[in-house]
Amino acid sequence: MPSWSELEQFLVSGLALGGVYALSGVGLVVLYRATGVLYLAFGAVGALGAFLAYEMLQAAAPQWAAWIVCILFGGLVTLLYGMIFGPALAGRDPLVRAVATLGLTLILFGAMELLWPPTSGATRAISLPTDNGGFTVFGLQVTWTQVIALGSGVVLTIGTGWFLRYTKLGTAMRAMANDRVITATLGVPVRRVEAAAWFGCGILAGFAGLLLADLVQLEPATLTFLVISSLAAALIGQLRSIAVTFAAGIVIGVIHDLLTPFSALTNYRDMTPFVLAVIALLWASRHRTVVTRSREEA
Amino acid sequence: MNRHEHRRSSLAAAAVAVLAIGGVLAGCSSSSSSSSSSAAAPATSSAAAAPSSSGSAGAVSTSSCGTKAGVAATGTPIPLGSIVTDQTGTSFADIANMAQAYFNCVNANGGINGHPIKYYIEKEQTNASQIASLSKQLVQTDHVVGIVGNTSIIECSVDHSYWEGQGYYIIDSGIAPECYSTSNSAAVNMGPRYSSDGAVQYAITQHPSKIVFDQANVPGTTYIAAGPNAIAKAANVPIIDKTATPPVADANSVAIDLVSSAGKDGAVVLNFTPPDALSILSAAQKLNIEGNVKLWACSTPCNTDFLAKSLGPKWNGKIFVNAELTPPDGTNTPTMNLYKAILSQYGSAVTGGIGSFSQMGFVEAELMVKALESVTGDYTVSSVNAAIKGLKDVNTGMLCQQWTYGNYSSHLPNNMDYTTTANNGQMTLAPSGGGCTLISENDPQVKAYRAEAGTAPTDPTSTGG
Repeated sequence: MPSWSELEQFLVSGLALGGVYALSGVGLVVLYRATGVLYLAFGAVGALGAFLAYEMLQAAAPQWAAWIVCILFGGLVTLLYGMIFGPALAGRDPLVRAVATLGLTLILFGAMELLWPPTSGATRAISLPTDNGGFTVFGLQVTWTQVIALGSGVVLTIGTGWFLRYTKLGTAMRAMANDRVITATLGVPVRRVEAAAWFGCGILAGFAGLLLADLVQLEPATLTFLVISSLAAALIGQLRSIAVTFAAGIVIGVIHDLLTPFSALTNYRDMTPFVLAVIALLWASRHRTVVTRSREEA
Repeated sequence: MNRHEHRRSSLAAAAVAVLAIGGVLAGCSSSSSSSSSSAAAPATSSAAAAPSSSGSAGAVSTSSCGTKAGVAATGTPIPLGSIVTDQTGTSFADIANMAQAYFNCVNANGGINGHPIKYYIEKEQTNASQIASLSKQLVQTDHVVGIVGNTSIIECSVDHSYWEGQGYYIIDSGIAPECYSTSNSAAVNMGPRYSSDGAVQYAITQHPSKIVFDQANVPGTTYIAAGPNAIAKAANVPIIDKTATPPVADANSVAIDLVSSAGKDGAVVLNFTPPDALSILSAAQKLNIEGNVKLWACSTPCNTDFLAKSLGPKWNGKIFVNAELTPPDGTNTPTMNLYKAILSQYGSAVTGGIGSFSQMGFVEAELMVKALESVTGDYTVSSVNAAIKGLKDVNTGMLCQQWTYGNYSSHLPNNMDYTTTANNGQMTLAPSGGGCTLISENDPQVKAYRAEAGTAPTDPTSTGG
């Protein structure tokens, strides 16, 4: 049984990983609330953006330019997808809309496999300048990249909450989440609002991809499927609550890392997102049942 | 339940299904690339140095690879075959591609008694039925008379009975246990188990209080760990076995766990492919905990200049890597220069450039050419494989020991190795005890092989002679 002082270090590393999960999860929820689409291509878009940034860095392009390309690529690809397929799929079942984004995932994943095939030699990697500085917590060096990962999740959660509550565009998104047709009849430019949501989500995908390429590994499968942990966080937030999604992302990251030193559980720690998501869904389902029964009895 | 709630809950259920499928997909992808990964990695490439940048390479003529300099072979081709893993996250194609480069060089310089070599390279994706089909295709359709350059995660397990039945004696780069434990497969490398043996053996020479051995969580980990465990146990050094699922997505927690388990007087020994090993080592560096253990060691895949360059001088003399082949950096032997020259002139398909993978391909092709040159009469399955089996005490110029096939129930012809260490962006021989060292017979498999085949003499043409 590891001591608390040993666990402290895993807590720190889990917070950083959870921060990125939270960031991605919040992006998924915002898009879902505005468009009703569960964007499964979030990880793949970020991964491809990170590979483009890597290529630019290899070609000695300025670092800031590579980062901007990575982030903008995420925004533009997502916007393009939303504008082309969004209207056509708007009337379809949410499951169909989600599966369509799985198609985009597979296309992007295939493109990465084709353009950046596995090599027998050099490993691809992105290292941000923020890796070189930081401070020590519990005997661990915490880099500024990790701080950015966690901090941006916090800022995004607060900022998005404020945006949805106090801005005209945010109000329009909330209205669309309730009923797209009625919102349109009230004169809200639905397509424009959706475009903003798609673009914003894509920007987040690019940003998360850049951070994850540095914090985890620049590898197509790894980055593409890391979205699963974020998706679990979004599900725990019932695709509605940004604050809960953020907290769930952090909890997933922390529990995942805290399980590492437990020899009996360490090989199962990758199941953390699934287990937590299933527990949360069962709890939510039971809670709804109880509430419904109480209402009927009343 | 209103319409939105219904939609949300049905979507949530669907999402759980997607999560499950995604998990399976990710798991599959992980485990295949991991198998490839840890179990896989027969060696690695020092990709840092591109072929063209290899010092003396340009000055060396490639004509010495054949018997008639500058005369292209025009006779009846001699068909040879190979099966390599080439899939997401793992590719061993460089090994066969380097063998192809060597054969192209031979073909351009007289061939084998005027016969060019026609080399069939088949690529597989860790699919047993696909592999079984490819081996039959090579034999029945392509009519190959010899198999050389095989490097696959499971090919030895799948095909060894077939090759035995057909009378083929394979020269390969081994990964699966059957590459070493069967009569018709002889590898030029040591594979993950024996390379990990070498890494643990070197770590023990530095007197750590304990060893933490971490490898990719793939089928075969128990088999691989058995060697290092036996060696540590014989030296009375406690050893802790750990695994991490590749691709390693939580390198920070893995690194913290390894360091805290080893303690400041302990050693951490890794057996991963270069990307995962680099992830873990980089994470330790970023967390500033790489100095919290006595030393780090690694099986052959870490023996790459790219890794040394990525980690930087902070790791100079801190990480020690088992090296199954003569380190290319700073070696100026005729064989090493020929290897670099062939790579430069014919190796455009070798993506990793100079490094262990291409060295293995070179050695395997070199051995096959020696076998073919000893054939008298027609090049048939029978004559060629008899010649392969007859290879004895060959100086490859790339291995510590002379290489022998022989008539043995198991084959571990390369059981003496080097140890390299990071040195300002390169992997060079460890200053203390880095030269050729026999893998310990405390590993029962090594002992069994030596009991049957004896201990081969050192190769005077490599640097370790």
